[in-house]
Amino acid sequence: MASTELLPEGRLPPRPRAPHAGPIAGRVELLLELVRRDVKSRYRGSFLGVGWTLLNPLIFMLVYSLVFGKFLRVRYPGGSATVFILSGLLAWTFFSQALIMATNSIVANAALVRKVAFPWALLSVSTVIAALVNYTISLVLLIPFMLLAHKGIGLPILAVPLLVAVTFALSLGLGLMLAAGNVYLRDLQYLVNLGTLVWFYVTPIIYPLSLVETKFSGHGLEGQVAHFVLYANPMTWVVLGFQDVFVFDRWPQHWHGLGYSLVFSLLSIWVGLRVFQRLRRRFAEEV
Amino acid sequence: MPDAVVRIQNVSKRFRVYHQRNTTLKQSLIDRRRGRYEEFWAVRDVSVEVPEGESLGIIGENGSGKSTLLKCVAGIMIQEKGSISVQGRLASLLEVGAGFHPDFTGRENIYLNGAILGLPRRYITTILDTIVEFAELGQFIDNPVKTYSSGMYTRLGFGIAVHLDPDILVVDEVLSVGDEAFQRRCMERINSLRAEGRTLVFVSHSMDSVRSVCDRCLWMDHGAARMVGGSEVVVAAYLAEVNRREELELELTETSAVDTSPGRQGVRITAVDFAGPQGSTTVLNTGEPLTVSVEYQAPEPLRGVRFSITFLRADGVPILTVPTDDLATGDIALPRQGVVRLALPGVPFLEGLYRVTVDITEIASGQNYKRLERVRPFRVHSAEHREVGMALLGHRWELPQVPARVAPG
Repeated sequence: MASTELLPEGRLPPRPRAPHAGPIAGRVELLLELVRRDVKSRYRGSFLGVGWTLLNPLIFMLVYSLVFGKFLRVRYPGGSATVFILSGLLAWTFFSQALIMATNSIVANAALVRKVAFPWALLSVSTVIAALVNYTISLVLLIPFMLLAHKGIGLPILAVPLLVAVTFALSLGLGLMLAAGNVYLRDLQYLVNLGTLVWFYVTPIIYPLSLVETKFSGHGLEGQVAHFVLYANPMTWVVLGFQDVFVFDRWPQHWHGLGYSLVFSLLSIWVGLRVFQRLRRRFAEEV
Repeated sequence: MPDAVVRIQNVSKRFRVYHQRNTTLKQSLIDRRRGRYEEFWAVRDVSVEVPEGESLGIIGENGSGKSTLLKCVAGIMIQEKGSISVQGRLASLLEVGAGFHPDFTGRENIYLNGAILGLPRRYITTILDTIVEFAELGQFIDNPVKTYSSGMYTRLGFGIAVHLDPDILVVDEVLSVGDEAFQRRCMERINSLRAEGRTLVFVSHSMDSVRSVCDRCLWMDHGAARMVGGSEVVVAAYLAEVNRREELELELTETSAVDTSPGRQGVRITAVDFAGPQGSTTVLNTGEPLTVSVEYQAPEPLRGVRFSITFLRADGVPILTVPTDDLATGDIALPRQGVVRLALPGVPFLEGLYRVTVDITEIASGQNYKRLERVRPFRVHSAEHREVGMALLGHRWELPQVPARVAPG
């Protein structure tokens, strides 16, 4: 910039510039603002507000434990059907909610994407973080049931952040892919709804893994498929981890499985980002 | 010449125009590939440079690719060919209040929109009052924006955008919204940024704004750069072209204008012509005598008929209808063929394009024998007149006199 004397005629001398968030700080601030929006807009205008975040899994848990625990007489390890189901169900609610919200994140913000250039991936990231916030709130539910069911809360609770991180990473990676894909093919949002429902049942949330293992102990094709699906499912190991911590108050037992889930999740983030970066080029036209 | 801070080199942008947009899986599977589309180049091989501190206007008709080029510069779209380099912090303002959440209050939206535009939260807090004042929101600031009037909404959006302080500002037709006072404030802001030596890229349909704000101008025509140069020159060339096209259109309609097919009972209008002081013409000056002649044919002599001629402005607004009834109260009997003439001693219309509608009506039944609608355009020039509007009406000004000086005492 030239000095004041050298400014061409009619130009004002430079005045102090209005501040502008730097590229990193700006993104962090924007992300926080978007998370704030996503969390708030979920509760805005509803009477129960945050209550729904607690009520929803609570009702589901009661229904499942009634149907599976009482009527079908499924034997839950650790003795408590409620804590067992709740520990997996809350994580699952986080995961599925993140996926469903992320899938819509770009399309729902079409007006913004068409008119303003900013890292649009933040729109998807914020929905996953918003789901994480809801999950954190919903963890409150576990406390009374755990206290009712058995011993206190021990050190293994420290494994929860890791388990949450894996769930977060997996939903973020898949969410980015789905968000970008949904711009081009709106069927994805319906497929995701259906897909998460199916996925829910192939994850040992409302039944213990041991149940499947004993049911299909033979080496028939059916058993092999069932085992393969359960073991290949990255959410299986995460949910087992949550059950270890919350039901048995012990460190996660399936470290190999968790390692696999972690690698799977990180890979999904990598692929998700690549897919997103590739597809975002025509977002403004297609959205 | 200072270094270019925005350099657009051979930029082309392609759109896909879907015959039937396949965004559902079923259709995609049926069609095997996703939708059948045609390629459409919205921007074709455009190159232009904007040096630091300059303001570039982009003009052109709707669909000429102005906004698309702007979106490429803003980074919202990515061009298929060519390159765009930007040096410095660029802010784009293609819509005010983009991304407002309807359920959120004005205050919440200020933070959200500010963050989207890149303003730090702490800074937004310091300017909050200024924004509320600018937007004239008062206590409404804590109501959801869905309850706002469009004026409040726009002012709030602009009140935030005003605080953007980029090196390069990209603006698209934002000024066309809002009332006069609002637009003036927008222009003030843009001018102050200009005065500080910021760079501006500005799309507008308002030639006055372009002329007053922009040093140089890019004229886009069907996606290509038709002309780049000083604003005055380019705007003048563009306006001349618009007029030329209008006249070309005029000539096209003219050739196909008069429908000579027989109407009811075989009555036909075979020609509609204009004559000015120098004989047959379609171009006149305001105040010159004009004669409209209508040539007709009928199988039988015409009795109990009315001719009427309506003058219409180019957009179809009727200005004056002159029926023949005033000629005779009783029957008009006309021969089987002939020419009916309507003479205006002086054309009262001001600059513009005009057309006529010609009717031959049976008075008794009120039914048309033949009607020609909006035919035979003619142009009126009024370069010598200072009056503005549709028609020149007789007038006379009376001005107060400066009183003669009265001797003191």
